Amino acid sequence: MKKKMIAILQNIALLLYAFYAIFPLVWLLILSFKHDSDMFNTTFIFTPTLENYRALFSDGEYIGYFLDNIIVSFGAIALSIVVGVPAAYALARFDFKGRDGIAFTFLSFRFAPEILVVLPLFLLYQELGLYDTYVGLIWVFQVLSLPLLIWILRGYFEDIPVEVENAARLDGYSWWQVFIKIVMPLIRPGLVASALLSLIFVWNNFTFSLLLAGQDVTTTTVAMLQYVASDTVHYGQMAGAVLIASLPIIILALSIQKHLVRGLSMGSVKG
Amino acid sequence: MATEAYEKLEEEQLTNKVPLKIKMRPFIILGPAFLLTVGILIPFAMAIYFSVTNYSFKYPDYVFVGLENWISMFTSADFWQSVGVTLTYAGVATLIETLLGIGIAILLNRENFLSRSLRIVLIFPLVIAPVIATIIWQLMTNNSVGIYSDWLRQLGITNFNWGADPSTALFTVLIIDAWVFTPFVTILVLAGLRSLPKAPFESAMIDGGSAWFTFKNLTLPMIMPMLIIAILFRLMLSLQMFDIIFALTRGGPGDTLMTLPLTAYTEAFTYKELGVSLPFMLILWVFVYFLSHFIVKYWTYTQNKASGK
Amino acid sequence: MKKIISGFISVLAFMLLFACSNESATENGNDNDGSSNTIDLEQFDEFDWKRFDGEEIEIMLNQHPYAEAIIERIPEFEEKTGITVNHSLTPEENYFDKLTTSLNAQNGNPDVFMTGAYQVWEYATADYMQELDVFVEDENRTSPDYDVDDFYEGILDAGRWDGVPGHTVGEGNLYTVPLAYEFNLLHYNKRALESIGLEEPPETMEELIEVGAQLDGWNGEGSYGVGTRGTRSWATIHPGYMTSFDNHGAVDFTVEDGSLVSHLNSTEAIEITEKFAELVNEAGPSDWSSYTWYQVSNDLAQGKAAFTYDASNWAIFHNVPGEAPEAGNIGVTTPPRTKDDDLGTNMWVWSIAMNKSSEKKDAAWLFMQYFTGKEHMQWGAIEANVVDPVRESVFESDEYQERIGDIEGYVETFNELIDGSTIKFTPQPEFFNTTTEWAAALQDIVNGADAEERMNELNKDIQERVSRVRAE
Repeated sequence: MKKKMIAILQNIALLLYAFYAIFPLVWLLILSFKHDSDMFNTTFIFTPTLENYRALFSDGEYIGYFLDNIIVSFGAIALSIVVGVPAAYALARFDFKGRDGIAFTFLSFRFAPEILVVLPLFLLYQELGLYDTYVGLIWVFQVLSLPLLIWILRGYFEDIPVEVENAARLDGYSWWQVFIKIVMPLIRPGLVASALLSLIFVWNNFTFSLLLAGQDVTTTTVAMLQYVASDTVHYGQMAGAVLIASLPIIILALSIQKHLVRGLSMGSVKG
Repeated sequence: MATEAYEKLEEEQLTNKVPLKIKMRPFIILGPAFLLTVGILIPFAMAIYFSVTNYSFKYPDYVFVGLENWISMFTSADFWQSVGVTLTYAGVATLIETLLGIGIAILLNRENFLSRSLRIVLIFPLVIAPVIATIIWQLMTNNSVGIYSDWLRQLGITNFNWGADPSTALFTVLIIDAWVFTPFVTILVLAGLRSLPKAPFESAMIDGGSAWFTFKNLTLPMIMPMLIIAILFRLMLSLQMFDIIFALTRGGPGDTLMTLPLTAYTEAFTYKELGVSLPFMLILWVFVYFLSHFIVKYWTYTQNKASGK
Repeated sequence: MKKIISGFISVLAFMLLFACSNESATENGNDNDGSSNTIDLEQFDEFDWKRFDGEEIEIMLNQHPYAEAIIERIPEFEEKTGITVNHSLTPEENYFDKLTTSLNAQNGNPDVFMTGAYQVWEYATADYMQELDVFVEDENRTSPDYDVDDFYEGILDAGRWDGVPGHTVGEGNLYTVPLAYEFNLLHYNKRALESIGLEEPPETMEELIEVGAQLDGWNGEGSYGVGTRGTRSWATIHPGYMTSFDNHGAVDFTVEDGSLVSHLNSTEAIEITEKFAELVNEAGPSDWSSYTWYQVSNDLAQGKAAFTYDASNWAIFHNVPGEAPEAGNIGVTTPPRTKDDDLGTNMWVWSIAMNKSSEKKDAAWLFMQYFTGKEHMQWGAIEANVVDPVRESVFESDEYQERIGDIEGYVETFNELIDGSTIKFTPQPEFFNTTTEWAAALQDIVNGADAEERMNELNKDIQERVSRVRAE
């Protein structure tokens, strides 16, 4: 009896939190189907319209922002994986002088205040011609994603007994072959989970995309602000834009749902 | 034969008596990652340099002014007020998100229909950009068109002004911060909980330990490494939180929410005094650097403890 | 611990190394810019729209109806001139931050940008803005039908300044050409007045406070009396507040012995600030300090605010039936009086200006001419929302008179205010610095701080901030 009561109380607590977390998104969904004229009352009863979505897609501009976001975010994550996986491996496997120092240095970059970095970086980008380019944004975004990736994967690599590798090498595989064929599949859950978390950080970045790009390359976060700044505020279009912009991540999160939690858990409590 | 080769391999990896080529291997592998991130050091260097000049966007030239900017920062009342607001914000935000995150993770870790179906859904706020999240909340709490204000009015609360009132502004930004980032803690703690071994918990059950006893003595130490990672990220990033406060109140009302990042941004962009602004960010960076170092050290310690070393 | 500190120090040392190598680079850059101070223009034999066929220019715009009108007509400009135009559009909250960093890079991007009159005081001092007199006065560069005298003199002069902090606008070189301007005056909703049996809008501040307080909830939940801007930003100071500040006889600065002296704690300044705070507290929205231009405008259009004390062009923007629920109900009257003297208003002018480091100045000037020329201005004032018009010919055209004719009080108010309306701020490059701090003080006073004490504190702070102004 007492146990049941507790379970009910727990469910109520969870539902309360769920309301706090989910209602703004539900409201957003509702707004995206409202006419501008219905926008300024708080009723749930209105005639739904697809007008907002039509406006978003009519001129192709939003699609352009969306593609820009995909290019820079996925570019940054891909780059992070290419350089981050070997780095995490090196930090886990080799015992060399200054190892912990280097590992920490990577992490500390993630915590460099954006406002501090962005101004000098702006001047530098202008100098190097990286301002308002894909390469420029990818470079600065990987600074956001690489540290997390390295730190989670390092735990994974440490979990893999060195004997596994050595046995394979005795079978005649080269070091690189062992890395690709044996080690990589073992760390996949961690890679997927950490890549997704990094992707979220990068996908939503505002400061860098605002100040280091904006004409040739415009990300959705920056673009979405345009809908609420006009003589008539288009909350409905903004709501639609926000939902569409978060769709790729939501779909990714749903499709790797199982990996997500498991992927993060394996590396954490290592031997 | 096989054992000999194996020992040779082990020696390669574990001792220093190896050819230079192999000794350099970790550095070669680390190289690309390091080169990429080291680029970010150049802006740091520029920032330090500009902080001792009177670099301003309002004048074409600038000159070296020594520690003038630093001294004027340390002697201004605004700075110390900023430090207070920044620490309060980061401390309270991290505390709320950690406690809430652990609680929700534990609730989600139960095996029932509700928990299973909410497990992924509750992560959704994390995918909304903080600046956009703020606009959504602003819209919902706006006095004339906001649905939350409307509900409060129907409950008879008419004088709650969210971000517009100095006494509730901090509360409002914290609500938004927690809305976006609690899922980040939840997901990491949940991952920690899912990886716990079953055996010790079963024996604790048999011994008749209370739920709190089990949590304190078994669960918490074992999820500690994951929890510290979550706290580390939340604390470091909320110390530099800019998007939410800027989008909601620009640091107002008055100076209520002028954190270090807000002060630095206002000095640099609104007042265009880059030289004056940079010390505010550099001091924050130094603080963040050392604080994260200690947290990481503690993390290594708990990790060893959790794995029984 | 020791190790990490030494690690930290070596990182610092490493970075300083970078800093030093960087220092020389930056200084060289500045030297180069310094030498190109005088503009060396090619001689042309006659004006030709097609002269720069094939060139490409970059434009930076603030999100605003004026910008939207430009964007809509870029294809026509491109066809007429053969110039390709790339534009970026940024919401006002971040626009000037982004613009400033771009101009500071001094690499010719953008070629043309949208700006206000107050920004001239910063950007001209920083040498970011191209002086335009050489272009306007050259008949081979400026189309014969441009007719610069058609601009209202006072409005064109808002972009003219001699660069000396404390000197008023109107002297010196021309830095911007105007797109449109705003007075700051009182809008009222006729339905709101009727709801409490009033026939005339209130005239004095006292009456406005009283009527505004009475109208709380006049149009359902969340509606209120008087809307004004309230964020911690310069934008809060310059509309209604500065208009009343000036009408009450207060001044921000005077020049004494060549340097600026702040008077924000004068008796008049304290009185009017207290009054304004009373207006907000008695009749304003309870979340006033989150109100931007967009929100005040929106509340007027949606029938949430019975009055707004802000930009004059809303009566026109929101008078399009079917777009704003309150279209047809909005009237215009003079700012609320606090003294018996003649009324004026503080003026805001949106303009376009040319980047001094632009390498395509002549193509850029064609763009500026086209979008401030008679044809676009006329189209903008009738078909779009480029109002209030800066050209006399547009204002007097039948189409425009028809457009404003059915707005109650518009023409009368306009005629009454035109003589007393200028920029009421003392030009100085720390404008954004001082007005932002000013807005923070106003927020504090609205939230209950003692006006005299807070204004004294503000005055001291601002005096310190204007002492940053560097002498030439």
